[in-house]
Amino acid sequence: MIKVVNLSKTYRPESNPVYALRGISAHILPGEYIAVMGPSGSGKSTLMNLLGCLDTPTGGSYYLDGQEVSQLEADQLALVRNQKIGFVFQNFNLLPRMTAQRNVELPMIYAGLPTQKRQERAAEALEKVGMANRSDHHPNELSGGQNQRVAIARALVNAPAILLADEPTGNLDSKTSSEIMTLFDDLHREGVTIILVTHERDIALHSERILHFRDGRLEKEENLLSTPSRRDDEQ
Amino acid sequence: MNLLESIRVAIESIRSNLLRSILTTIGIVIGIAAVIAIVAIGQGGEATLMGEMEKIGSNLFMVHIDWKREEPQTGTEFLLEDVQAIKSQVPEIKYLAPYAYNYDSIRGTKKNKQAQIIGTMPDHAQMGNLEMLQGRFFTNEDIQGRRRIVALDEALAEELFGNTDVIGKQVVVQGNSLLVCGVIKEEESFLNMEDSKSIYVPIRVWMDIYPDGFIQSLQGSTLEHEQVETAMNKSVTIMERRHQAKNVYAGTTMAQQMEIASKVTSVLTLIVSAIAGISLLVGGIGVMNIMLVSVTERTREIGLRMALGARRRDILIQFLIEAMVLCIIGGIIGTILGVGGAWFIAKLAKWPPLISWSTILMAFAFSAGIGILFGLLPASKASKLDPIEALRHD
Ligand SMILES: Nc1ncnc2c1ncn2[C@@H]1O[C@H](COP(=O)(O)OP(=O)(O)O)[C@@H](O)[C@H]1O
Ligand SMILES: [Mg+2]
Repeated sequence: MIKVVNLSKTYRPESNPVYALRGISAHILPGEYIAVMGPSGSGKSTLMNLLGCLDTPTGGSYYLDGQEVSQLEADQLALVRNQKIGFVFQNFNLLPRMTAQRNVELPMIYAGLPTQKRQERAAEALEKVGMANRSDHHPNELSGGQNQRVAIARALVNAPAILLADEPTGNLDSKTSSEIMTLFDDLHREGVTIILVTHERDIALHSERILHFRDGRLEKEENLLSTPSRRDDEQ
Repeated sequence: MNLLESIRVAIESIRSNLLRSILTTIGIVIGIAAVIAIVAIGQGGEATLMGEMEKIGSNLFMVHIDWKREEPQTGTEFLLEDVQAIKSQVPEIKYLAPYAYNYDSIRGTKKNKQAQIIGTMPDHAQMGNLEMLQGRFFTNEDIQGRRRIVALDEALAEELFGNTDVIGKQVVVQGNSLLVCGVIKEEESFLNMEDSKSIYVPIRVWMDIYPDGFIQSLQGSTLEHEQVETAMNKSVTIMERRHQAKNVYAGTTMAQQMEIASKVTSVLTLIVSAIAGISLLVGGIGVMNIMLVSVTERTREIGLRMALGARRRDILIQFLIEAMVLCIIGGIIGTILGVGGAWFIAKLAKWPPLISWSTILMAFAFSAGIGILFGLLPASKASKLDPIEALRHD
């Protein structure tokens, strides 16, 4: 599903180069649940941006569904983002003047779906994240956790191949965080591929595999599926 | 993203910043209102002018000495015999009258007055549709008989005698006493800025009063508007033959003069609208400024839309449409104000404004065009944003 080979990203290569990623190789299978951890500045967000096709690498290759995306043009990247990627941000990034329903419709607008279909699917997605009764609320009328649910509905609505979440609980209290994580777990059970950046080990423990980053390098991988007690939890 | 959705997004973001949007469009509103009002008033004025001239007669013509010639030639003056000759040789002509005038002092019972003293024939009254308030205009018999009678304008009678009941009363011109045979009714006309105050004297009597005077022109009319050109040309030819003088006489038709007048008014309208158009441009620059601010403010939104799959062209179109919608809203408000303003001014000026659909359509197209023109820079700026940098912007 996702294969990165020697992926690197250097900011400002001419003047004062910042080596944000220094050759990352990894393989992520469909349906996997991955957590990315590491100190601040270790390149986690840079990796997410590359995986999310928001940015292009300065070296190495990135295959998504067998397609080499590091060479694609701006419009093709937009299409990939629209069809294959779902983003969940730390600060939700909902448009404040739009209702939850309209926010969830956004990716489908760019997919060119007809209004009727958009509205149906947005309603379904909101239902799935438990926000069906708030569909006509604006972001400022919702709590942080509720906003993040709406954002997750928006990320899922085009049925993407991967869900990329960069510190999705970073702005939430622990109770709300665990509610959101329950939602991620449910999505994982339904087969969604999830890559999640977090600082907190508790959060990371929801995943199947943790990638530890340091100074732009993949320092170590921790496979949680090998822990028997956790494997028993899964059905 | 389809067009309807773009328009919806544009209206959403305009509504979310309503006050600023309204302020943004003021320039457009004023520009469009000014253009609409000016064009409406200009076209209304032109139509009224044309209507008045039409009423006077599009089948009128005039033969005169070519004004471009500097040296007057002897033996080329218009003669009363010329009038007879032309009338009998040109069947298209319905009425033909000599026209001679002098600005001179007239004495009535109440006052002395300076006025236009016109020497002519009864055909003149027929051509001009002069209506009598009192008495009658002089006849051909009066001319033959050199009868010393006059017809005068209502307003002049009022000034000379203090009333219009003046049939049989006497006016004195150059020591010649003349009897009033008729009072001409004042014609309500937009062209008469002030009341006309002329006195009409049988041409032979006029020539007796002014032995050195001469007939300035012949004025004629045809039955049909289409014949006027022919009648005029034939008259000029006859004059040239009778006086053996080439390139001395010239003819003018009322239609030609109407054309000139119409050209003048449309050029005037054009100039003033061009000035108003400049305010539209200024309005467009205002829209551009605000749109640039808006793009900066909404950088995050743009980044997010890109992250969710918006292509550069989607963003470009969104902002272009937003600028266009802004300008069209400004255009609609401007049109309403412009139409209102035109009615108001026209009411003061006493002529009806002419608001054509083409004017409104043009104002519409123009404001949309301004939106596109001045939206282009902000929109292209928005579409060229880098998605991550835009997302990180705060
Ligand atoms: N746009 C940028 N320009 C220059 N340097 C950047 C940019 N984005 C990130 N960096 C640098 O790259 C490194 C990795 O950043 P980031 O991927 O955001 O780290 P993390 O998300 O792990 O905290 C940091 O040193 C950061 O300062
Ligand atoms: Mg980060």
